[in-house]
Amino acid sequence: MANNRWGYPDLGFGIGLRSVHFEHILKNNPVIDWFEVLSENYLDTGGRPLHVLDQVAERYPVVLHGVSLSVGSTDPIDFEYLKKLKALGKRVNARWVSDHLCWTGVTGLNTHDLLPMPYTDQALRHTIERVRNIQDFLERPIALENASTYLEFSASKWPESEFIAALAEEANCGILLDVNNVYVSSFNHGFDPKKYIDNIPKDRVVQMHLAGHTNKGTHILDTHSDYVINTVWELYRYAHRRLGGVATLLEWDANIPGFDVVHGEALKARQFREQEDKKMPAPELEEVPAYGD
Amino acid sequence: MATNPGLDRVQRWMQALIQDQGTCEEAITSERAQAEISADEARTVVLPSKTLSSFERLDIYREMYLLRMEEALDTDYPALKHFLGDEEFMRLVARYVEVYPSRSYTLNRLGDHLPEFVASLDDLPKRDFCHELALLELALTGVFDATETAPLSPEAVRAVPPDAWETARLKPIEAFRLLEFDYPVSRYLGFVDQENPAPRLAQRKTWVVAYRRNYHVHRMDLTQPAFELLSALAAGQTVGDAIVSVMTRKWRPAVKEKQLFEWFRDWMAEGLFHAVEPAKT
Repeated sequence: MANNRWGYPDLGFGIGLRSVHFEHILKNNPVIDWFEVLSENYLDTGGRPLHVLDQVAERYPVVLHGVSLSVGSTDPIDFEYLKKLKALGKRVNARWVSDHLCWTGVTGLNTHDLLPMPYTDQALRHTIERVRNIQDFLERPIALENASTYLEFSASKWPESEFIAALAEEANCGILLDVNNVYVSSFNHGFDPKKYIDNIPKDRVVQMHLAGHTNKGTHILDTHSDYVINTVWELYRYAHRRLGGVATLLEWDANIPGFDVVHGEALKARQFREQEDKKMPAPELEEVPAYGD
Repeated sequence: MATNPGLDRVQRWMQALIQDQGTCEEAITSERAQAEISADEARTVVLPSKTLSSFERLDIYREMYLLRMEEALDTDYPALKHFLGDEEFMRLVARYVEVYPSRSYTLNRLGDHLPEFVASLDDLPKRDFCHELALLELALTGVFDATETAPLSPEAVRAVPPDAWETARLKPIEAFRLLEFDYPVSRYLGFVDQENPAPRLAQRKTWVVAYRRNYHVHRMDLTQPAFELLSALAAGQTVGDAIVSVMTRKWRPAVKEKQLFEWFRDWMAEGLFHAVEPAKT
């Protein structure tokens, strides 16, 4: 049963659709609950990616996840982009559409990075207005993900978790809670990741993300290039306790291993959820070497 | 001390720093950055962490920017990168994105101006070869993303009465590009993809058709008369006129009628044509 206010279903355990896995998926029809698709990769192509996506969408539930909505930008909203996004959502019967709480560029330029917002009253008002306009155009609520961040602005007045909670309430949008990003940002900024999750309104969360990262010692980079670390699994278990059954997706975007390895990592989430639901101790986790070692 | 320059100024400032290729100290004193926030004020916009100074935190974003641009252009121009080497290619990317930064929601078209940019550089090794290699790789990205148009089926070909071919027109598929080069750039790409040995990079006229079949991108080397014939067909000439325009020219070696049949057979088999349009009566 859905825990969120829109009745978006708990789709189970999915992975990101990546081109290195296209052949495997089309040939083997693997048993997997759902796929998340990077929207921008399919907006301007009539070639193989779209052809594969059409077939995948016939067989599996698909969710669109974007990186160019630039919801916090002070540039005008790009309605051409939204028009294409809306059409793609219809084409693949996207269960929902998500992007990030960030900005990617201004003055007509795009850095293609998920840049951090100053968490000020002005930024909150600005972003609420934009989210409302975007949702009106798309004719559906969107879910916004907490991005990993590497700096904080001195002007910020709100903790990120309170900012995103207030944004979701005021703009009436969903939240895609990236558990790894909570951990990465907590490491980079020195906050308590559990308190962050405590601040997230349960009925707004439509999806969770999990991923591996790269610890540089002084900071962590959200690279999606490795297995999920044990601390993040524990945080996921905590999030599940707080938020209940939410569609969960494993992201792996660099040094991508075979389909079965990625899917296997996604299925670990099921173990954690089941153990948590039965109030059993967490599954024993072996320390996993960095992928490729 | 909290600094709150406002959302629009802070975004323009941070973008200016990210796209500045000097040090962070140099970037905050640049005209573009100081138009938003003075260098003095800039030191307090970002908080330091326990382990990193505010500039070191900004540098994370600044460093990732160029790496991301390089990754995108590497995807579209692997042979150019192979030829130039990692360091020279990175230098090219850094110069390119200063002139042509991304203005789109997608990185897929970031490299659209790279061939013309390469052609404008005086200090690039073997610039003319690099320019043509970039033109070929750009064409391949166009073929990759082109709208799918079904190739002409054998039934559709058989349905055309033999005496109607002379005045009929053949329409190429969307994923079709004809290219003429002064260097063997397609052979160089084949070498990078381990399809053939390394070619000599001396000037030599070459002709290529790039196309997509079953959603996979292919290239076919052409002779000059085959290229001219395909060009005439693609330009909308009737089959008869296109053949006459090629066969009435002197070629060395001469083009035999048998070759014409072989070309058409190969082009049909590769699915280069989308439709055959009989002359309007």
